[in-house]
Amino acid sequence: MAFYDSLFNGLGLRVWCDSAPGTANLSMASLLAKTNPETANSGPIFPFPSMDELYQACSSFPQSREFTAAVEDAFLNVKDVLKSVLDPLTQPLSWLLELALFSFLAAPWWIIIPLILLFVWYVCRSVVVTAFVTLSFVFLGFIDHLDAALQTLAIIAVCTGICILLGVPVGIAMAKSNRLQRGLIPLLDLLQTLPTFVYLIPLIFLFSVTEPKLYGIAIIVYAIVPVIRLTDLGIRLVDQDVVEAANAFGMSPRQKLLGVELPLALPNIMAGVNQTIMMSLAMVVIASLVSAPGLGVLVLRGIRNLELGVGLIAGLGIVLLAVILDRVSKAAIARVSTDQTFK
Amino acid sequence: MANSPKIEIRNLYKIFGSDPKAALEKVKAGMGKEELLAQTGHVLGLQDISIDIRESAITVVMGLSGSGKSTLIRHINRLIEPTNGQVLIDGDDALLLDTEALRDKRRTGMSMVFQKFALLPHRTVIDNSALPLEVRGVGQIERHKEAQVWINRVGLGGYEKHYPHQLSGGMQQRVGLARALTSNSDIMLMDEAFSALDPLIRSDMQKLLLELHVELKKTIVFITHDLDEALRLADHLVILKDGAVIQQGDPQGILVKPTDPYIEAFVSDINRARVLRVRSVMTPLDKKSKYAGDVSPKDTLEHLIARSEGNTSFKFRVIEGEKPIGQIDMQDLVKALVPRGSVSGQQSL
Repeated sequence: MAFYDSLFNGLGLRVWCDSAPGTANLSMASLLAKTNPETANSGPIFPFPSMDELYQACSSFPQSREFTAAVEDAFLNVKDVLKSVLDPLTQPLSWLLELALFSFLAAPWWIIIPLILLFVWYVCRSVVVTAFVTLSFVFLGFIDHLDAALQTLAIIAVCTGICILLGVPVGIAMAKSNRLQRGLIPLLDLLQTLPTFVYLIPLIFLFSVTEPKLYGIAIIVYAIVPVIRLTDLGIRLVDQDVVEAANAFGMSPRQKLLGVELPLALPNIMAGVNQTIMMSLAMVVIASLVSAPGLGVLVLRGIRNLELGVGLIAGLGIVLLAVILDRVSKAAIARVSTDQTFK
Repeated sequence: MANSPKIEIRNLYKIFGSDPKAALEKVKAGMGKEELLAQTGHVLGLQDISIDIRESAITVVMGLSGSGKSTLIRHINRLIEPTNGQVLIDGDDALLLDTEALRDKRRTGMSMVFQKFALLPHRTVIDNSALPLEVRGVGQIERHKEAQVWINRVGLGGYEKHYPHQLSGGMQQRVGLARALTSNSDIMLMDEAFSALDPLIRSDMQKLLLELHVELKKTIVFITHDLDEALRLADHLVILKDGAVIQQGDPQGILVKPTDPYIEAFVSDINRARVLRVRSVMTPLDKKSKYAGDVSPKDTLEHLIARSEGNTSFKFRVIEGEKPIGQIDMQDLVKALVPRGSVSGQQSL
């Protein structure tokens, strides 16, 4: 006799309960109870009315594993439709990632590293930062981690680029419309608080694990939040007196956006880009679980095979990359801010 | 020239709140500002404002903070939309302009100078000054050439490549002025343009504005909370209180004959000798008097006191052009220096 028998009897549902006896699969607990009847009534005196507990009393009641299965079925049902839409839409992402990975690795080190250093010099114009980046690459190359680091860097470059391309316009739209902002903020909160592993689960079912877009999407969805938020914030924080002056001189919305709002919001937007880069790096390591190449793979190997040294050295490489990316983007922000001459 | 006004403001109302139309009915039925706020939560910004702004004159709107003067000036270029009323510019109703026409009007018809300067911090002085032309799509070489002229005129030659934050407040406002002048529009709106500046620099800027006005004959609407500034600049003075005009007219007239205790309290505090001019105090000529000399109606009383060396028995003849138009008795002059009511009332402000 189960605890909640009397409940179903009292509600007059006994007939409905007995109409489908034992059609569901047995749970381990009930199997044990059958083989050893003495344990059957040794549960808590007043069990929580969970689905499984109610099933004990009424075999027509669904078990919790049926609930899990229903969610899975629902996802699998929409999967094909979703896939037929998303697959072609995201295909360019795969191509971009493949192209970036290929070109970063195919180019000889004496071309790709000077190119990267030139880029660093161009964005931050700082001798110290450029020298630091040079030393870091020399070190990574010396310990034979250059290829892995370049792969990681290639993925981050592509994903950050797409985040900016998508995130800045969304941020602008959010700054212009209070309604859109109210609608999007809960979504952004959700994306930011969802544990990184949870992103991967539906993606694995949607896309083939061999396709780069699988981890590309995971990284972009995770890392796009700060650039959207800070573009929105930056544009909203633009001095209203200056915006009023722009209106008073008859600027069109386009002139105002390009000539006043975006330039004045640039330091904030760049701060968002800095955050986006750092979050891409965090995600690219986790994305090695779904075949993202780079330093993350080495860390994973360290964990899986208990190769302590491999994991630690790859971890050091990631830290080095993180410091490089952070310093370079911060130096770029500082340069923009002084150019813009903010108080 | 002074026949039809450049800008006419007719029965302008502005009410801030969720349902201004309903509140407007109540105001028109005679509800006051306090009552409206208490009963409906609406703020009465402007109440039945009618002003004629003459072409090529400086119209000064004066009032304390909260009197609605900044709200009023923003109705002229429609940075704020009125609840009710008309704004006619050159006889055309500015409130009927669509977005495109309004933008065009703002680009070519009027320019504005702001209290907080509102310069673009990421642009140099010359790029800031050239902004109105840039908005209109004028090429860089041409607009820089034009901006350069005005930068030189406001005394900032040599600072073209500086950024606003590298300049002092007074210099930044000169850039603001150069920007407004570069737009080459007939109307200049100045919203407390000099209020954020030190007294000495403010005085310099007032002088510069008066010189420019003589030179360019622009129609200027100037907002201020400072009576001395208002009297120095104004051809036509409008005094606002709680969103309503309480007196407007010739500034000397307001000074000599304030119609409201509020204005009286205001004017009692200023240096009348420096502000009042002979024209406001002079009396008709009588044939018998002996004159100590000739003066112009535009001379300040201070100037006369200095000239008479304090002797109150003197009389001066007032000459405009070549013609004598009146006389001024030093005793009348001394009386005019004392504001009405300050003898009997001794009221404090």
